[in-house]
Amino acid sequence: MSRNWLYVLFWIFVSFLTLFPIYWLFVISVKPAVELFSTPDLILRDFYWQNYVDVLNDRTLRSYMVNSLVISTGNAVLCTLLGFMACYALSRFDMGGKESIFFWTITNRMAPPAVFLLPLFLLLTQVYKIGDFSLLDTRIGMILVYCTFNLPFAIWTLRPTIDGIPKELDEAAHVDGASPWRVIWEVVFPLARPGLAVTLILTWVFAWNEYLLAATLTNFNARTLTTGLSEYVTTTGTEWGIMATISVFTLIPALIVFGMVQRHIVAGLTFGAVKG
Amino acid sequence: MDIEPIDVTPEEAPPLPKTGFLPIETNWFDRIFISVVIWVALSLFWLRFIEPLGLSIWICTAISVVLAAIIIRKG
Amino acid sequence: MQSNRLGWLLLAPTLLILAMFGVFPFIYVLFVSFHQWNPFAVNPEMAFNWAANYRRVVFDAQFIASLGVTAAFVFFAVVSELILGYALAQAFMKDFPGKAFFRTIHTLPLIMAPIIVGSVWKLMTTPSIGIIPHLLDNWFGYDLNIGQSAGAAFVLTVIMDIWHWTPLVTLSLIAALVSLPPDPFEQAQIDGAGRWQIFWHITLPMIRPAILATVFIRLMDALRTVDEVLMLTGGGPGSATRYVGVHIFKEVFPRTNYGYGSAISVVVLYVTIVVCWLLYVGLIAPRNKKG
Repeated sequence: MSRNWLYVLFWIFVSFLTLFPIYWLFVISVKPAVELFSTPDLILRDFYWQNYVDVLNDRTLRSYMVNSLVISTGNAVLCTLLGFMACYALSRFDMGGKESIFFWTITNRMAPPAVFLLPLFLLLTQVYKIGDFSLLDTRIGMILVYCTFNLPFAIWTLRPTIDGIPKELDEAAHVDGASPWRVIWEVVFPLARPGLAVTLILTWVFAWNEYLLAATLTNFNARTLTTGLSEYVTTTGTEWGIMATISVFTLIPALIVFGMVQRHIVAGLTFGAVKG
Repeated sequence: MDIEPIDVTPEEAPPLPKTGFLPIETNWFDRIFISVVIWVALSLFWLRFIEPLGLSIWICTAISVVLAAIIIRKG
Repeated sequence: MQSNRLGWLLLAPTLLILAMFGVFPFIYVLFVSFHQWNPFAVNPEMAFNWAANYRRVVFDAQFIASLGVTAAFVFFAVVSELILGYALAQAFMKDFPGKAFFRTIHTLPLIMAPIIVGSVWKLMTTPSIGIIPHLLDNWFGYDLNIGQSAGAAFVLTVIMDIWHWTPLVTLSLIAALVSLPPDPFEQAQIDGAGRWQIFWHITLPMIRPAILATVFIRLMDALRTVDEVLMLTGGGPGSATRYVGVHIFKEVFPRTNYGYGSAISVVVLYVTIVVCWLLYVGLIAPRNKKG
């Protein structure tokens, strides 16, 4: 019995190590700049909300927040819908070589994003453009670019869900005279809802968290909150309070989401390689 | 007279796995892949260490092509 | 079965997007890598120049150094995460109150954006703001300054990666351990096997597939670590923590030498694919066939 309490103590210690850096982030964000350079203090004595007010009043940062929201929501919806359609096709049709296609879509996610910075930048500026309109630094461009890692993920997580819906159901609806289109959206889609929700949420977080591509493929109009964060780290002088506050703002949606899909996170991140 | 056509789905012939001198079982796609990997590695190595000695990169390419042929045939 | 045309129609947008932003960039970067192309150079036109870019890549000491530190980083991070993760997973297998709660806390870092992790650790370790240098100075008289000490910066990036990703290893190994049948362990105990023997001869072989798969995933992720390191150290001091991704972001991308940058990108992709493939062939595929 007493050994069990040793384990509890041990896990309290581990949890402390896990949580402390996040706590420290919050501490910095509610301290006035002048206090930062005095002796670090572990205990929070008073709250100074000016950093939060500053961030919310900053028009640039507000527009970054809107961009982040629009891009990650757009991307998550797009990836979930397309992933659903693709999985339905892979699950219900006898297309030649469909398993190879499935495998190929998955490998797209394995590619290191750093390698694709330059080609994507060149393609967006030189090739994928109509007249003066190029996809660089646009929200729609970022939504499409994020599909490279989120769409394979959506296909991967949705495949078991769609495969798990009995074919007899759509065949029965088909016999009743429903068009294939109606079968997809009125029979299969509602049944796949739980899986779709998890996929939507996780793709949303991945898009929200993305930094590297956003930093290179946007200049001003479509910058996201994560890039805004890096703008506050400069060699001449970092505004630590603001930086911590932006981090908190970036963290909050992820934390909310975390509560919702906690069970699915590991399966999502290991890409199901480890069945758990 | 109507004869039901026997349902032979013209499946893509699955690449035949076989074992040659390579330590693993491979199909033709794997062997092409291995050849390309070796070709690139050899070329980069050649550019770094052997080309400065005066031997052209084409020699390396020729060696790689021969190697690739052997691997694809017998791997 | 319904006509396959509808199937292809449903698949078409996915294939189109992945081709446009996944495959075509690859072909394009391969194409550009054989050209001299720098829009801000004396001669801004794109001109075919055989393997000249690659000739430069193999002699680029900075780039090769960055490959070396990347390998070191990946090695230390993944090995520590595996050992720690296994120990934590074992510590989780006992019965104690509040298990679900502790697991929830432990999952938390996984959902955090890498750049936020970098910023959190920067706030923890920057001299005079962070708590860590302060405590180290007070307790051990050690002066931690990741802006100046290359070794400290490297170790810190490894620690940060451990903090961020050990939970993944722990949770997937917990899943593997939970699914183990109890019989062999009981039998071994009856036979009087020691704890170490049980670990070595029973536990390890049985959870091997899970370990290999986890190592595979972690290696692939560690190889492409960029955001955290960029935020924490910016690749410095010097080139101590300039891992390949950071190198491309900081040294290659901002210069407008597109041909050369493409060649580096191709080489990095090549190395990644080969490492990934070797791991898969050497570790995962043969075991799957047997078991």
